[in-house]
Amino acid sequence: MAQMSSERSQFTGNIGSFNNNSFNNSSFSNIVSFNTERDLERHQILQWLSPLEPQQRHHGVRTNRLDGIGSWILETNEFREWSGAEDGSVEPVLFCEGNPGVGKTYLR
Amino acid sequence: MIDSLCDQAGGKDIAVVGLYCDFLAQQEQSTTSMLGAILKQLVSRREIPEHIREAFQKAKKEFGGRGLRLPDIVEIMKKAVAALPRVFICIDALDESTPKYRRELLESLREIVRVSVHTRLFLTGRPHIGDEILKCFCKMIRIPISPTRDDIINYLEMRLDSDTDSDVMDDELRADIMRVIPEKIAEM
Repeated sequence: MAQMSSERSQFTGNIGSFNNNSFNNSSFSNIVSFNTERDLERHQILQWLSPLEPQQRHHGVRTNRLDGIGSWILETNEFREWSGAEDGSVEPVLFCEGNPGVGKTYLR
Repeated sequence: MIDSLCDQAGGKDIAVVGLYCDFLAQQEQSTTSMLGAILKQLVSRREIPEHIREAFQKAKKEFGGRGLRLPDIVEIMKKAVAALPRVFICIDALDESTPKYRRELLESLREIVRVSVHTRLFLTGRPHIGDEILKCFCKMIRIPISPTRDDIINYLEMRLDSDTDSDVMDDELRADIMRVIPEKIAEM
């Protein structure tokens, strides 16, 4: 996983020009080689979809999280009903509210 | 939460994707880029769907290569989400996005959920954001978050165990810390 995210950030750096919506292929001249044309296109598409990389932040949160903290929420009826519903019979939105610092980000 | 939902999903074909809003990244976290980041995760473990490849190739042909616009990405997301059996979208710290982007994000998600009822949204934020969510989604499930006594004790133990300044620590001080801090937090 760590390896994956480092590869990903490498791509981000190299095809940064896509953030400016430039499709100029010459910007790829110094890039690590892609195996196939299709791989190259795949990376171009993912970059086109968004320059953001939320997986990187997630990696940081996961590393700093203490096991078991906030796991009580998984046991609540509200959570179980919400996560178990498959047919729209339960509200789609579960909102965990709290003031800054109560641990919303680190809920297990 | 993302990891727990992933564990729960196990081998089942359930997509779990997440996004962290960040006050410091408000400029780059536009509605389009936030939705794009969600979409990117939805497709990144699979073959890129043909309709997305087509949209990309079409945009590429336009002058200078056209970036995605909000209505485009909402349409693409509707198709991508509808093609998956179940989707969990987790968005942390909604209050850290700008009000304009937040409203657009919630409205876009509402459209997506409307066509794919198997989509679940897990949102976190300060309580006042609840009213904004309710403007888009008439109903929702709310869970107030506060650390439990066990959470606090676990956290304190971890911090005390990793304290590098062990000379000044003794059993009495440790016992005091473990007693007073949880009491004070309970009073808050």
